[in-house]
Amino acid sequence: MSASRRAGRLSPAPENFLPDQLLEDISAKGLNASRREFMRKSFAVASASLAAGSAFAASDHPAPDGDRVILQPNAHATRLGNPVAHTPYGMPSKHEANLQRRESPGLTRKRESSISFTPLQGLFGIITPSGLHFERHHAGWHDIDPREHRLMINGLVSSAKVYTMADLMRLPPVSRMHFIECGANSAMDWGSPAVPSVQYTHGMLSCCEFTGVPLSLLLEDCGIDKSKAQWLLAEGDDGASLTRSIPIDRALDDAIVAWGMNGEMLRPENGYPLRLVVPGLQGVCWVKWLRRIEVGDAPFATREETTQYIDLMPNGLQRQYTVIQECKSVITSPSGGQRLLNKGFFNISGLAWSGRGKITRVDVSVDAGRNWKTARLESPVLPKCLTRFNLDWEWDGKPYILQSRATDENGHVQPKIAELRAVRGRRSVYHNNAIQSWQVSAAGEVMNVQIS
Amino acid sequence: MYKSPERFPLSLTRLMSAVMLFAACGSAHAEKFTGVGRTATPREIAAWDVDVRPDFQGLPRGAGSVAQGEKIWAARCASCHGDFAELPSVFPPLVGGTTRADIERGRVAGLAAASENSKTTMMKLATLSTLFDYIRRAMPFDAPKSLKVDEVYAVTAFMLSLADLVPADFVLSDKNIADVQRRLPNRDGNTAAHGMLDIRAKPDVNGKDCMRDCPVDTNSLLLLPSSVNGLNGNLADQNRPYGSIRGIETRRNP
Repeated sequence: MSASRRAGRLSPAPENFLPDQLLEDISAKGLNASRREFMRKSFAVASASLAAGSAFAASDHPAPDGDRVILQPNAHATRLGNPVAHTPYGMPSKHEANLQRRESPGLTRKRESSISFTPLQGLFGIITPSGLHFERHHAGWHDIDPREHRLMINGLVSSAKVYTMADLMRLPPVSRMHFIECGANSAMDWGSPAVPSVQYTHGMLSCCEFTGVPLSLLLEDCGIDKSKAQWLLAEGDDGASLTRSIPIDRALDDAIVAWGMNGEMLRPENGYPLRLVVPGLQGVCWVKWLRRIEVGDAPFATREETTQYIDLMPNGLQRQYTVIQECKSVITSPSGGQRLLNKGFFNISGLAWSGRGKITRVDVSVDAGRNWKTARLESPVLPKCLTRFNLDWEWDGKPYILQSRATDENGHVQPKIAELRAVRGRRSVYHNNAIQSWQVSAAGEVMNVQIS
Repeated sequence: MYKSPERFPLSLTRLMSAVMLFAACGSAHAEKFTGVGRTATPREIAAWDVDVRPDFQGLPRGAGSVAQGEKIWAARCASCHGDFAELPSVFPPLVGGTTRADIERGRVAGLAAASENSKTTMMKLATLSTLFDYIRRAMPFDAPKSLKVDEVYAVTAFMLSLADLVPADFVLSDKNIADVQRRLPNRDGNTAAHGMLDIRAKPDVNGKDCMRDCPVDTNSLLLLPSSVNGLNGNLADQNRPYGSIRGIETRRNP
């Protein structure tokens, strides 16, 4: 590779690679250990990137007389391709194989009771492809025969009923797009930055179009006793028979008993053939393989809301039934573990969501939260649904810290991590909706950092 | 094919709509979706409706001793949870970290300082029904629902004895489980007084929408420690291999 090909691709000069404010602070207060590490890493990476630059440059930059892929006929343009129905159920291009659900090491010891994360760093728009929807199982997943599946509704109803899938699919359906976020999303970063990329910091997040029958319609069909009903119990048909209490106002508002996801049936990992969709509530409430709903006058204190999915406060009290996912956002591109190969124009893009309604605004900062610009919201903007935002950015090869901050229609503003810790301490697990910071080094390397 | 309503006089169409509306409202729920679903039988409800609430609604009759529970524990539970329900290596530990003072007070003092990994189920547990219900529906991990009701009582009794809540010769039953509930170390340790249950409530933490010259504490900067480099695999292989944004090689310095 010639030197001219490389020109302009990377910033070769590691000097002046700290933001002015950070430089001022360092000269005023001296270097603490973490800043020393930051500088050392930034410098080392800047040098390493130069050396590594040649490995992937070949096809992006043309020879002087033109681009090889234009000047020479491509094989695929000069012969027949594959026939129709070659792959009866279509698969992504082989060139996209890097974007997969992945586990994070050390979280769990049993893969049947574990998590795989959605690769948010590579997704566009707001819809999560069905095969990339994150997984969280408590006793593994099965591929249940829909002919053998039943939904029972009992408890405070005038008539306890059993529905087959055929029964449910005869009823008038709704199709709505909603996000689902595990209550433990971003849990690993409560104390300090712990995982390298947005797949692991925020990848217990997906968003699909769900099709099903409104839960309220089924409850009416069974004659729910509205004068007494306060809570529902939703129960799954997995080994754990996972149960979770759902407050009645959420159940009667916009909850769906869903069989469809992105136009097809639910995937087995996501509850095939039937799951509860409870918009805005943490993922564990969206009971998969849904087999029973019991109407009650009090919460049920199941394991997943009594010893798990509770929030330990600094005084030792545990918050129970913390169901709502608060206003939150994250920049997905560029994001942690990525590298900008060249200076110049980039589109900062990310996702925002709120369990309490629509996103109304997303602000983006490139200077660690000192100054903010309001980003574009891409359509559609829907309640309790992911909203895609983007903002134009010229990267001049200097270090920056990128952040996004969402506001929802209730005026709730996504907080800084220090603001969360001031109330809930550092030992919390669930409901981390802090502003995410991505540090871009002079070498273009993006790192998960925290700054308030 | 769809028939035009013009076949009917307008007034008749309206009358029919009104009758149908009246039927939908008047008959509450029953006949709105004719032929959809059926009444559940008592046996069906009994087979699936096994949940137990904190007030012990739903608790089945039965009994099991600590000694019986110890035997079942050794055979079915200890490989994951340890002989004394203390093992932290497969699942979080179940028993430990509670004191006599906690039993008196109804709050586990150790929770205020415990790290996530040192918290045990018995420290967190506010409702004994939860433990019984979960063992019955979901345990053992590799053979859920294989324990008989009396065996669930026995395993629960053994765990309670490990936590010094009941004596070694105790027999737990539907008659005395409420008495043990009154001794649970963290029985008063939960609260639902927070903003994350009611959708109209306010979050407990709200950010500020400052736009210019906002305060930033540069001393608060925390970096991803270099020790995690490569733990999540090679990030270069987790991003597209083309374009101006790539994944970093994270196995560069093993």
